[in-house]
Amino acid sequence: MRGEAGSRRASSRLRAVAAVTARAVEAALVVVLMASLVFFALRLLPGDPARLLLGDEAAPAEVEALHRKLGLDRPLYVQYAHFLRGLGSLDFGESLRHPGASAGAQVREAIGPTTALAATSVGLAAVLGIGAALLAAGPFLGARRKWVERVAVAVAATPLLSFAPLLTYALAAKLRVAPLPGDPDAGAGGLLFAGGLLSLPLAAQVARVGRAALAEVEHAPFLAVARAKGNPLGRTWLVHALPPSLGPVMAVVASQLGALLGGAVVLERLFERPGLGTLILEAYAARDLPVLEASIVAAGALFVVVQTLAAALHAAIDPRVRR
Amino acid sequence: MKLGRLLPVAALAGVCGACAVGRDPERLKPAASFLAPSLGHPLGCGEAGVDLLALVSHAVLRGVLLAVVVAALGLLVGAPLGAGAAMARGRFERAVDRACDLVQAFPSFLLALAVLSAVRTPSRVHLAVVFSLTAWAPFARLALAQTRILRSAGFVEAARALGQGRARVLVRHILPNSLGVLAVQLGSTAGAIVVSEAALSFVGLGPRGGVSLGSVLEQGVACMLFAPWVMAVGAVAVMVTSGVLILAGRAIE
Repeated sequence: MRGEAGSRRASSRLRAVAAVTARAVEAALVVVLMASLVFFALRLLPGDPARLLLGDEAAPAEVEALHRKLGLDRPLYVQYAHFLRGLGSLDFGESLRHPGASAGAQVREAIGPTTALAATSVGLAAVLGIGAALLAAGPFLGARRKWVERVAVAVAATPLLSFAPLLTYALAAKLRVAPLPGDPDAGAGGLLFAGGLLSLPLAAQVARVGRAALAEVEHAPFLAVARAKGNPLGRTWLVHALPPSLGPVMAVVASQLGALLGGAVVLERLFERPGLGTLILEAYAARDLPVLEASIVAAGALFVVVQTLAAALHAAIDPRVRR
Repeated sequence: MKLGRLLPVAALAGVCGACAVGRDPERLKPAASFLAPSLGHPLGCGEAGVDLLALVSHAVLRGVLLAVVVAALGLLVGAPLGAGAAMARGRFERAVDRACDLVQAFPSFLLALAVLSAVRTPSRVHLAVVFSLTAWAPFARLALAQTRILRSAGFVEAARALGQGRARVLVRHILPNSLGVLAVQLGSTAGAIVVSEAALSFVGLGPRGGVSLGSVLEQGVACMLFAPWVMAVGAVAVMVTSGVLILAGRAIE
């Protein structure tokens, strides 16, 4: 008997390892594809990167020197092999704009603020969104709970690009109740304000999906049992109704991570905050190819890693999605 | 059919069209820089004295045109792909499903950058290409889900039993019955593209100094402290345009 249970446990562990490996391989594949897309877009589409960088009036000798420096004078497959080797060792070469600084170092410097911004906004969105979902589905507000859902729908339909500048003007420039997040002295307050702005669309999505999930379990037999046992209202909803509803919430957060990354770039530009988005845009404007390639790959990798983690977390808290 | 929901989009197009005619968004009057709204310039003036009404109305028209063309293209490619995959079942169905997952979750901003990094000044045509790369996915996903439900419906089985081929069943029976949800998606995709185009040109990936809602916003943020109406005009225009498109999609619900 014990042997059978043990072998079943071993085989389920084997399956878990296989699932994790498959996920990791897929994630790595997405990063490599993304990197290759940048690589080939820059080399195969019409337009010589060196000409883009130096302008049309550049002397042929200068263009040639830059070609040699970027390796563009070699055959494409050699360049690609070199690029893939650099990808493997995270070595993308030297920045063109800041000679001597490696592209990798610039990316490492920029990835921290962006991660902090994204993490803050995901945390705030979870708290705000789940709170709103409980208010919208639970009996706490009576008939007024419909309004919570209406507000969530309205917020979800309002683009960040519209409300972020308006709220910044109202709160930071006029009323001066929030610090300007681009101000280096703003510190945690600035991060919290920027994260709060970025979290609003995500919080609205979380509230809508969470409300629907809670409404589904509201009439489930297990919740009736929890009520009948004499659990207080708050405990019934927080301990019994909420955990089975978290699965769809995790799924919607994971599906919105790409939009979140785009929103982070817009906010970094709006507030002139340092970060991955700012680095990408600066490298793009200056045609700093090594930094551009490195920062796009880093942003793609950040996205893929976080999304894979979200999927793993989803599987960990919701046994129904584990297969 | 709730055709009343088409009214706002018609009104927006009409007003913008009427305002766009005879006003040149590229005519600059440096003396009128950052002029507050007045009778001569109902929305005020922006950087270098550009008339904001002219700029915004042209930008809205071009943005809506881009969004509608790309969304329609996405529908034309995505809907048959998704429905066909669900009819074929098996490996093809799973592959399309997974591809939709990947494309929909992918940060479209990064994709846009990767493609746009090869051109010096991205034009609207470049942006349309970039958006088309991902616009088919939501339509394919919806058509797939809808066909999964419909493929075992009585009238589909009846049509198959009468000897109609898969393609014919798809075109005559399944797609017409999916049009409602697809139309809603058409509206929200178009609305999202308006916002994406504005966001890309806001961060400097649009037509340079070009006629776009994003460049209105960019100007507005730079002069936020002394000419706040520029930013307000841009923000409201983005919100209204995307909202009106989303609403229009629900007309054929």
